[in-house]
Parts: sequence; C-alpha cells; structure tokens
Amino acid sequence: MSCHKPDPKQAGFDPSLPSGGAPLKTPIGILYPPNLTPDTQTGIGNWSDLEFVNAMQRGISKSGQHLIPAFPYTSYAAMPVGDVLDIKAYLMSLKPVTSPKRDADIPIAFLLRRGLGLWKFLGLNTTPWKPDSSQTVAWNRGSYLVNGPGHCGECHTPRNLIMVRDESRLFAGGPHPEGQGKVPGMRSLLERSRYKDKKDLATALQFGEEFGYENMASGGMRQVQINMSKLPQSDIDAIAEYLISLK
Amino acid sequence: MLSKKLFKSISAGALVLSLGITLAYAAADDVIKARQNWMKERAKALGPMVAIMKGEAPYDAAAVKASLDAVNATWEAVKDIELFAPDSAKGETVETFAKAEIWSDPEGFKAAGEAMEKAFSNLAATTDEAGFKAAFPAVGAACGGCHEKFRRPKG
Ligand code: HEC
Ligand code: HEC
Repeated sequence: MSCHKPDPKQAGFDPSLPSGGAPLKTPIGILYPPNLTPDTQTGIGNWSDLEFVNAMQRGISKSGQHLIPAFPYTSYAAMPVGDVLDIKAYLMSLKPVTSPKRDADIPIAFLLRRGLGLWKFLGLNTTPWKPDSSQTVAWNRGSYLVNGPGHCGECHTPRNLIMVRDESRLFAGGPHPEGQGKVPGMRSLLERSRYKDKKDLATALQFGEEFGYENMASGGMRQVQINMSKLPQSDIDAIAEYLISLK
Repeated sequence: MLSKKLFKSISAGALVLSLGITLAYAAADDVIKARQNWMKERAKALGPMVAIMKGEAPYDAAAVKASLDAVNATWEAVKDIELFAPDSAKGETVETFAKAEIWSDPEGFKAAGEAMEKAFSNLAATTDEAGFKAAFPAVGAACGGCHEKFRRPKG
C-alpha cells in the first residue's frame, strides 16, 4: 500500500488509509494514485469482484479506461485471482474515505490513455506466476511474493523508453521510477558482498536501517521495508532465499 | 552537540556564496566530500554496536561505550565544517545525493537531525543488554527516517 498514501493537503486525512491522491512523479508526468478505500463515490465501494480483478491484473478501470503502468498492475497480473480478491476483501474492511479524483498532470495524458491498449500489448506480460518444481517450497514462496504482491520489480527492474519494465533486465536496478537517483540491483547480492548470507539478508529485509544496514531507506524503500517487516518470519526468509538465487 | 553546528551552517551558507562562483563551487565539492565521508566514518564507528544487534557479537558494555566514543569523535572531526551549506546542494565534480528538500524544508531536516541526537543520548544512557537492544533501533530509524526524506538512492 506504500504508493496509495493520501495527500497531506486533504482535510481530515488519515495516513494509514490508502485513499489515494498523493502525487507520484514519474518521468512522463505526475500521476495521482486512485482511492482504494470502500467509499462509494470516489473509491472502490461500488466495484464488483470482476471490475476489481480487471483493474488489478489488467489495468482496466471500472469505467473501462486503461490505467497507466505506474499503477502496479503489471505485478498483480502474476497473482492468482483468489489472492487478488483477498486484497479486495481487506480493502473493503477499511474505513471509507472520500477523496477527490485528479487526472494525471501529463500534457499528453489523454493521448496516452487512448494509446495505452497498444502500450500494454507491447509491454505487459500477463502470464500468471507459476511455481518452479525444481526449486524448494520456500524459494517458490519467495519468488511469488517478490514477483507478485511485493511488486519489488516496479522499482528494481529498469523501464524502457515507454515506461514498460524491461523484463530482460529483471531486478537489474536502474533509474528510479520517480526520477530520484538510482535503484540498486538485486542480483548477485552475496557475490557482491552486500550481505554475508541468506540470514544476513533476511535480517536486513526485516529491520533495515534500524539494525544499521545501509541503502534501505531512500527512494521509497523504507516504506516497503516497514511493510515487509510485518510479514511472518517464514515469508521474509523465503524472500531472502529467492533473492540470493538471482545471479 | 554537532547538529547545532550542522544546522547553523544553513544560515551561514550565504557567507560562502559571497566568496564568488569559482571558490564557492570548489568549496561545495569539499563540503560534499566532507559530509559523505563523515556519514561513512560514522556508519563504520557504529559497527561494533551493529554486530551486537545482528547477533554476530555478544553484548559488551565496554564495546558499546567505545563505539559511542568513536561516533562522537567523527562529530568532533567535522564540527567546524558547514556540512549542509545551501551552495553545496550541487557539486562541480563530486555527485551529491542530498535532496533539495534539505533546503526547502529546513524545519523537517532539523527535526530529523534532532531525532538522531535524542536517540543517541537515550542509547548512551543504557546500562544492560536489554536496554541497549531496545534503544539501538531508534538510532537506526533516525538514520533511515532522514535518508527516506532527504537523500536520493545511490543505486
Ligand atoms: C518504491 C520503489 C521500491 C520498491 C517497490 C522496492 N524497492 Fe527495494 N529499494 C529501492 C531503493 C530506491 C533502494 C535503495 C535505497 C537506499 O539507497 O537507501 C532499495 C534497496 C533495496 C535493497 C538493498 C540493496 C542493496 O544493494 O543492499 C534490497 C535488498 C531491496 N531493496 C529489496 C526489495 C524487495 C525484496 C522489494 C519487494 C518486497 C523491494 N525492494 C521493493 C526501491 C524500491
Ligand atoms: C539529518 C539527516 C540525516 C541523518 C540523521 C543521517 N543521515 Fe546519512 N545521509 C544524509 C544525507 C543527506 C546523505 C547524502 C549526502 C551527500 O551525498 O551529499 C547521507 C549519506 C549517508 C551515507 C552515504 C555516504 C556516501 O556517500 O558514501 C551513509 C553511509 C550514511 N548517510 C549513514 C548514516 C548513518 C549510519 C546514520 C545514523 C547514525 C545517518 N546516516 C544519519 C542525511 C542523514
């Protein structure tokens, strides 16, 4: 939920609710993430399960508009539908918040939205995530969390010129999607002596800079790390197991 | 304490500007190098405490004290440098990862520095393992809290 933070300028906002609005700067302009609370006017209160799954996995909003790929549907595409509906159930249990919708501040926004069908055709890999039976159960769990709901690749995989993730360079790091500096790669973390072993990496994911690890806070990583720290230990270990296998 | 010096530097920056463009730029590079080096040295000085937190070394009150003294020494070493002077927002040959928000939100930046100072003094007041392990994460969270808002990632 790290991206759907409310805009602090909104009256009476509660930062713990994903009511959207806080601007996300991207190389193509400013986007305003949607309100994900169950408000019937400005949120997802009236969305059916099908509409929700369409938006989360295929980037098509309730009104049939194409969403821009900065909304991480490219990651949710990999999740089983059941898990996407669990997310919806969770969101529907939140307190509804009314927040004004804003269109993206992109001069060519309209054009882009119309052209997005093509954009997605070129760039979106909708193959659902599949387990690899040659790997351990933990590795598969880690691979699922990192490639699906964790949407780690949204920042750690570089994007090509049309803002679509360059899957041939999966997790190779690169320019930050909001244009703030560079995101480190997640390949060969042990070989590059970033971490001593799997346990060291798991501790880093769980506690981040609180335990003196470096490069765990800037460019949005701190919120991701705080979210990750709330996962069960077995999931954190699984993410570490998967990450150290990336060469 | 250091951060008083640190934040005084923000207003003192105007002085540096009057020295002229060339000099100011050279000075900017030096200031950036000094603060990056200070951050690195301080992270190194924290090492023995970090090892205890990670369970790589047993708790040892003397080692904690020595580590805190080493942190203090890194502060002493830079106390006469204006580490975040406004004209050091950009270097000539040195790349800085300091974000513009340091200068557009001086109150927020100051608060981030004060949070760190407070966390360090709480940590220095601990006398046993449980106290130390409960107090250290606030120091790290203060590092992370400032980096989250005021530093660009290096890649
Ligand atoms: C919002 C963008 C974003 C997302 C999403 C994101 N990261 Fe990061 N990550 C970063 C940035 C930026 C850094 C560098 C932070 C710094 O330098 O302080 C980073 C750093 C890291 C590091 C440290 C790398 C090193 O060289 O030590 C690890 C490990 C990591 N991220 C893992 C993950 C995992 C696992 C996920 C998914 C659960 C994830 N990240 C999702 C932006 C992101
Ligand atoms: C008040 C804000 C603030 C606090 C608190 C802070 N930092 Fe930093 N740190 C920065 C900024 C800004 C930079 C980028 C400096 C630059 O590139 O000019 C930085 C850079 C760094 C770097 C990279 C230096 C380099 O370029 O190699 C390290 C390592 C670091 N900090 C460690 C720490 C540690 C450890 C702590 C806690 C004890 C800490 N910092 C607390 C603001 C802060």
